[in-house]
Amino acid sequence: MLLQILINGLLKGGLYALMAIGMSLIWGVMDIINIAHGSFIMLGAFVTYWLFTLLGIDPFLSLFFSVGLLFILGYGIQRYLINYVIRASAFITLILAFGIEIFINNLALVAWTADVRKVEVAYGAANFSIGHWVTIPTVRLVAFGLVILISLLFFFILNRTHLGRSIRATSQDLDGARLVGVDVAHTYALTFGLGIGAAGAAGTLWAILFPISPMMGGILTLRSFVVVIIGGLGSMLGPIIGGLALGLTESFGSNWFGSTYSDLIGFTILVLVLIIRPKGILGGTD
Amino acid sequence: MERPCGVILTLAAVFAMILFFGPPDTAAADPTINLGCAISFTGGQSRTGKLYRDSYDMAVEQINKTGGVNVGGKRYQMKIIYYDDKSDPTESSKLVEKLISEDKVNFLLGPYSSGITIPDSIVAQRYRVPMIEGGGASGKIFSRGNKYIFGTLPPAGQYFKSTLDMLETLKPAPKSVAILYSDDKFDVSVAEGTKKLAKGMGLDVVLFEKYSEGATDFTSLLTKIKSKNAQVVLLSGHTEESLNFTQQAKELNVCPKLIAMTVGPSEADFRHSLGKDAEYIYGVASWSTQMNFKGLLFSDTQQFVQQFKAKFDYDPDYHNASGIADVAVYKNAIEKAGSLDPQKVRDAIAATDLNTIYGRVQFSPNGQIKGTSVVLQIQGGEIYQVFPTGTKTPVYPFTCWTDR
Repeated sequence: MLLQILINGLLKGGLYALMAIGMSLIWGVMDIINIAHGSFIMLGAFVTYWLFTLLGIDPFLSLFFSVGLLFILGYGIQRYLINYVIRASAFITLILAFGIEIFINNLALVAWTADVRKVEVAYGAANFSIGHWVTIPTVRLVAFGLVILISLLFFFILNRTHLGRSIRATSQDLDGARLVGVDVAHTYALTFGLGIGAAGAAGTLWAILFPISPMMGGILTLRSFVVVIIGGLGSMLGPIIGGLALGLTESFGSNWFGSTYSDLIGFTILVLVLIIRPKGILGGTD
Repeated sequence: MERPCGVILTLAAVFAMILFFGPPDTAAADPTINLGCAISFTGGQSRTGKLYRDSYDMAVEQINKTGGVNVGGKRYQMKIIYYDDKSDPTESSKLVEKLISEDKVNFLLGPYSSGITIPDSIVAQRYRVPMIEGGGASGKIFSRGNKYIFGTLPPAGQYFKSTLDMLETLKPAPKSVAILYSDDKFDVSVAEGTKKLAKGMGLDVVLFEKYSEGATDFTSLLTKIKSKNAQVVLLSGHTEESLNFTQQAKELNVCPKLIAMTVGPSEADFRHSLGKDAEYIYGVASWSTQMNFKGLLFSDTQQFVQQFKAKFDYDPDYHNASGIADVAVYKNAIEKAGSLDPQKVRDAIAATDLNTIYGRVQFSPNGQIKGTSVVLQIQGGEIYQVFPTGTKTPVYPFTCWTDR
């Protein structure tokens, strides 16, 4: 049974990490706390839902569409909305993101109603067993693989490509980056697009595993936020460590103390991390 | 600064015109009885809130079509004034106050969910205006000595009674029960009542655990169910939780002999979303479309079901029927009282003995309807009443996920 709880926690952590990775990127590079992150996950989930329901496109295939569409959306929002206030204090961007969240959620509510929907795929609940006591849900395992893949992809983009160098340059020294000819507005928009694209991927997997509805974003934002704080900013490994830490503590915590306490445990860890390591488990010290 | 002034003047002129000419003339032939209702149009409860609104509207339309309400020989039309409580109890109680003091409504219809009904009912009591509600069943609403609240959902603590009664008729009769419930007020009442009943029947309650309302992850709970080897799982929660629980039970291949849920199985969405994974899951309801009652407003349950489907394009469930009963009770009580005096109408409601498409409505002294629930089961994609009487017999034990 302990092994099963461990696996439950690890797989849940993988999903949390995937949710948080985009938020971490945007936060780390642009210092924007994207409160609307969960709403973008919701949009990704609905892209998958509609492609599957209307056109019969396999949810895993729709990953390309949800990532692509949300990348474009994220690029547009950053370029033509957030860029106007990016030099203002952090509170202004926070309020703007909050506004975007309310707007998206209510637009979705009007367009799709508050109905709870479900992508009904045959393999949604597929699993395989190891011995009598351990059952591994396949989709969650795939999600786990995907988060590692996406993290590696981000790592590659940030460290090995021209775009990545521009992103890191703007985050390290804005004026310096401008001097060497980096188009800052464009770079920021691409970063935001990448972050939101990752939210789209998380949305697709969420839609395969859980029922979806327009108001689901709030709690997802909160979880992503906790994961980013726990893991620490500035490293692609941060959200993974944070996600796994949260997944495991929730899983063991709710086994030992009862399910109502799973949120309490998550937030206790958050407070502890803030006290002991304010920069997160992997965050640097300054 | 001149332009804004111009804009303000134009707006002022428009408002003045509206004030002068007044809104479109509504004071037609008959005077109206206004019912006030703060209910969820948005937020977490908006889905179920809509079920009540549809029913309230349909019942009022039916009353107005068939001659209105006869108060001491004078015909009244009925009308509902709605506000959106955004699924927030504080907001809801403020709106109820507004309905009473500003809109001067005659009577109140309830919101959805026990948690919102409690503060609303306290406002109704303070202003001494009767409230009939169809969406709150927690004992906490009715245990306060409030004389102005009446509810048409049966007592929460008795919800699973029919299911437990059914267990004794199954062969072999299951012995161990797991009770899982959300920390919502209604579900806590259900779970505590169920635990008491189950122990009284000599069943072994191997797991009694609460989870947070809106929880998405049930893997820990399911792992416990498997390790404690619970034969029966009784889940008291909300649609999304029921959906998540079922999907994750399949993911982890947890397969008890019987699964019953308070909310979910009777909703068409639940069955469509889960497809064949929803098969054989049991539900409880105070009402089902397979019942047949003759009643006020509609000639019988079947005629109501048909008319409802034609109008709204979905199958009504017990929420809808309960909502219809609320409005029917008002018509009956107002006519019996022969007055719109809140006190007289309250007394008439308390004395209600009325046949409706929802069944016979009589209230206990605490204001809650006397009645019991029936057991439903999903078989072949449809929901059937299976106990105490039913159109089908219960399928037991549960066929495991992978063997279907």
